[in-house]
Parts: sequence; C-alpha cells; structure tokens
Amino acid sequence: MDEKYDVIVLGTGLKECVLSGLLSVSGKKVLHMDRNSYYGGESASMTPLADLYKHFNKGECPENYKGKDWNVDLIPKFLMANGQLVKLLIHSGVTRYLEFKCIEGSYVYKKGKINKVPSNEKEALSSPLMGMFEKRRFASLLKFCDELDENNPATLKGIDPNQTMRDVFEKYNLDQGTRDFTGHAIALYTEDSYMDKPCLPTLKKIQLYTQSLGRYGKSSYLYPLYGLGELPQGFARLSAIYGGTYMLNKPFEGVTMEGGKVTGVTSEGETAQCDMVIADPSYFPDKVKVVGKVVRCICILNHPVPNTSDAQSTQIIIPQNQVSRNYDIYVSCVSFAHNVAEKGYYIATVSTTVETDDPESELEPAFKLLGPVKEKFLSISDIYEPTDDGSESKIFISSSFDATTHFETTCDDINKLYERIMGEPFDFSKIQSTVDPVDN
Amino acid sequence: MEDDDCLTTLKILIIGESGVGKSSLLLRFTDDTFDPEQAATIGVDFKDTAGQERFRTLTPSYYRGAQGVILVYDVSNSQTFHKLDQWLNELDTYSTKSDIVKMLVGNKIDKEKREITRDQGLKFARKHSMLFIECSAKTRDGVQCAFEELVEKIIQTPGLWESDSKSSRGIVMSAGGSQAGQGCSGYCSVL
Repeated sequence: MDEKYDVIVLGTGLKECVLSGLLSVSGKKVLHMDRNSYYGGESASMTPLADLYKHFNKGECPENYKGKDWNVDLIPKFLMANGQLVKLLIHSGVTRYLEFKCIEGSYVYKKGKINKVPSNEKEALSSPLMGMFEKRRFASLLKFCDELDENNPATLKGIDPNQTMRDVFEKYNLDQGTRDFTGHAIALYTEDSYMDKPCLPTLKKIQLYTQSLGRYGKSSYLYPLYGLGELPQGFARLSAIYGGTYMLNKPFEGVTMEGGKVTGVTSEGETAQCDMVIADPSYFPDKVKVVGKVVRCICILNHPVPNTSDAQSTQIIIPQNQVSRNYDIYVSCVSFAHNVAEKGYYIATVSTTVETDDPESELEPAFKLLGPVKEKFLSISDIYEPTDDGSESKIFISSSFDATTHFETTCDDINKLYERIMGEPFDFSKIQSTVDPVDN
Repeated sequence: MEDDDCLTTLKILIIGESGVGKSSLLLRFTDDTFDPEQAATIGVDFKDTAGQERFRTLTPSYYRGAQGVILVYDVSNSQTFHKLDQWLNELDTYSTKSDIVKMLVGNKIDKEKREITRDQGLKFARKHSMLFIECSAKTRDGVQCAFEELVEKIIQTPGLWESDSKSSRGIVMSAGGSQAGQGCSGYCSVL
C-alpha cells in the first residue's frame, strides 16, 4: 500500500466504479478501496439471502430459502434502453461481462387501479388511460418529441424551447390524467416542478423514452441478470484490466492534507500517496449535507404483482397527484427470471422521497397493489450532497442515490464529477477507440 | 465468426495466486492452440483475473456461469500450492454451477528448482476430484493437452452446457441494438 497513486477511490458503489474504470482507461494509476468485504456499497446486491437479513438486523434467515439463489438489490433501479448508462456500458466494453433482460411491463396508477403504459401505437389505442380523442392528441405530442432536434428549428413546430411545459400541454390540449402519466411515467419526473420550467428538457426526456422503446424488447427498461450489483463489478473489472488495484475490507482511517490539498489516504496505519481522492458520501461525513430522505421497502413475494398479466418483472409508478403527495411512489419488481431470487419468488421494492414523520405509511398505496408479502425489509436513508466541490481539496465526493427508478440522474452525477476531476466533459468517442481492442 | 456456426460458448476461468503464470497460459491457449480460421462449433471465452486476485478481490460476477476452471500453481513455489484450498473455497462460494469441471495445473516445470513434486499435485487433484496436468507455458510443454482435456470433460458432462440454451439467456447489448441470446462472442474456437 505504501505507493504513490494518481487517484485513490473510496467505496465501490456504481458511481465510484464507473469513474475508477474511466480514469484507469485514460492512463491514471488507480487504487480502489472499500471498507466493506463486498463490492457495491449502497448499490450492492446482497447475496446470499442471509446477508440481507444480517444487513437489516432481521435475525436468522429462514432455513427453507435457498440462500445462494438470491441477489437482492439495496437500491432498485432499471436502465433506460437508450439511456446514458447503456451507452457507457457499450462504449466501455463492460457490457461483455453482463447479460440483460427487458422489463416486461411498465404500469401507471390511476384512480386506485394500475394500467399499462402504452408501449406502442396499438397499446395506446386500446389503453383505458385516455379517451378516444385524447389518444390522438397524446400521439401527436409523442410524434413531435420523437422528431425533435433542437438544432433544427423546423422540428420545433413553433414551440419556443423556453416556454413552460404547462404551455406545451395546453397547446396539445391534454387533460390532467394524461399530463400525470406523461410527466411521471414517461418523462419520469418525481414531482411536478417541471411544469413551470422551460419545456425543452422535458421534451428530450419524452424523446429518450420513446427512443428506448423497442430497442431491446417490449419496454423501455433493462435489468442485468444477477442484479444491479453486477454493474459496479463490471466497471471494477474494467479498471483492473487497465491496471487498477483493488482492496476490499480495508478500514478507512482518514486522509493526509497539505496546504488544503489531499496528499494521501490512511488505512491500517499505512498511508498511500495520491494526487486526488474520489469517494462516496459515507467516507466524508463532514464534507456533505443532507438534502432529503428516501424510504425503501424490499418486499419478498411468492407470486407476481397482481393485475400485471403475471409479469416476471414490472415497474409501477404512482404519480403524486393520484395520491395527494408531492413525490411519486415507485414499485420495481424483478424475480427468479433474473437470477435474483429462488424459483417462484419475486422481489418488489417500493420507494419514495420522504414527506412525513411516518415514512412507512407513505408507502401504503403501493403495498395495497402487491398482495400478500412474505417478508419486508424497510430502510430510511438520508440523501447526501457534497458541500466541497473538490476544486481546492482535490477530494471529489459523489451524491447519494435518489428515489428515481432509473440511472439517468446517476449518470448526470458521474458526468459532473468527471468534469470536475478532469477539467473537461466526458467524451464517449475517446473511450470507445481505446477500449474496443481489449479482450480476455 | 457467425452466431449460426456456434453451438455454445463455454466460459472457462483461470485462477490462482499472482505470478503463477495465468496470463502466459492464457496467451498460449489463445495464440497457439487455436486456428481462428477453423470452422467453429464451440467457442471458448477465457476469463483472466485482471490482477484482482492479488488482494483477493475477484468479483463474484467473475465466477458466474463458468463451466470450467483452471486452477494454477507454480511448481517452483510451494506458497502458491498451499493457497489452493483457499481458491477452492472461494470457487465453491461463488460458482453458480455445482458440477463445474476443475483442472489443476502445475505450471513452470521448465524451472530447475522444484518445490512441489508431481505426486503432491496428483494427490491434491484426486482428493478434490480435479483433472491434473503439469505444464510449462514458457516451453509450451503440456499446454495443448491441458486445454483439450478440460473442454472434452465439459462436453461430456451432461447438463453442464446444453441447459444454457439461447432462450433462457438474456440480451447481450451492442451498439447496433438487440442481439437476443447471442451465443458466441468470437473468442477462440475448438473442434
């Protein structure tokens, strides 16, 4: 350990592993450590099942479970098929270590019932979510977003990018229900503030959704076999192939500083020298602030989620308006079909941004959709953001994972960190040419 | 290599202590043993440890779905032989197939100073129901043999590879879009 590194990365969560991989590829000498004995940090998949019981202090895991068959995500998310993380996986070559399945159905909650989010024109026509004429208006909004190119004014069709999204909904004459599911189940906003902001980012989000559809199958979402914990491990492997050194089970005992700038990391009495540190928020509690709380409840079921045509994987979005809240509630369900549970079992994780003093009961509308639950694992986590941007200290800290059900905000944070670290935005074309020839 | 030519792709791991010659063995397998022009019916995807064995931080995902494993030690370094039990433990913890075919390889037999006899290696292999071979990646002695024996054993083990039918597998992403159940990624080929 008594060596000099360009970068020391603390924590093996997805964000840290992606950055570790990208920096190793670009020629930096990287030391990557984690205080845990497993990869993934907050974004780990717990395996065997007994480790999940231990993690939640739930005592002994019942003996009738085949513990080794389980890989339970601590934070549920899906990948957008045309999203940033998929691009990153392809361009870095990490995709070769992974296999994915398409999420079968995406549902949205309306008036106490769940309805399939239309995944094509035919489904849109038969969907009970909208009336006949509303469907036509909705379809023309989708078409407009799909063809939109902000560099080509003709495709804007008279809409000023600075107009609010509320104006655009008015222009297309869409009712409240359609706005709810467009904003929350398609543009994937967690709350409604986007309505009064410039419309362009929202139009681009709708475009991402439509362009993700049908890319690999029926829905816009993908999920890796064996759980989300495979993602950080894949990027860790990329980093290792490019010379990154990995140490797990390595207690963190602080950093050494000189003139306000980090010079090393101490563990087990030894100090490794470095020019910069990248870390998840748990390593620097005095350099982060709490910006919110997320409540998540992992539910083990021995049946599919009711009313989803027995789907082996589903997403359900409960828009905030439907249940008089400020933030949406999400259900992400995966199963034995993804090698994350033993045969016949399903894992449905319910989550939302905390609004009250009784977070568990905030999830009640979602619990009602699940049917009987075998076991619940509840967690309430603070969401941290760094208070130090690292420009002086050269300590770059990631933000916690938010309540969103996909990785787009995760990738935004990775991009921001990359730019702060390297002084230039991340460029896909660079990594593509260097990584492709590598093979093992 | 076209997907259609490919019956299946076997995943074979190479593990063992740092410095026993895993990467050199891998090079020998991929460079010498195979003729890439040969009509392929079975592809083999070798997984190297990428140095992550040094501090025992191989990822569980590295072990997933492997049908075969080559466990390497250095006959001129008894330390690497005594660590074999730990490697077998780790393999048992993470491997997803219970009947994974294991081969023990004593490498560097070209070295004059031997610390582990052939008999010691053979005994260990028998005790743990492993195939056994001694070889030298440097002089290429025994390398081809090691590989062929392992692949043959995998092919002869019912249920070890047929069950990975295309339908049960996931999507392999690529820049071009979906390639559901893609079986062969164009590594090296045998048969």
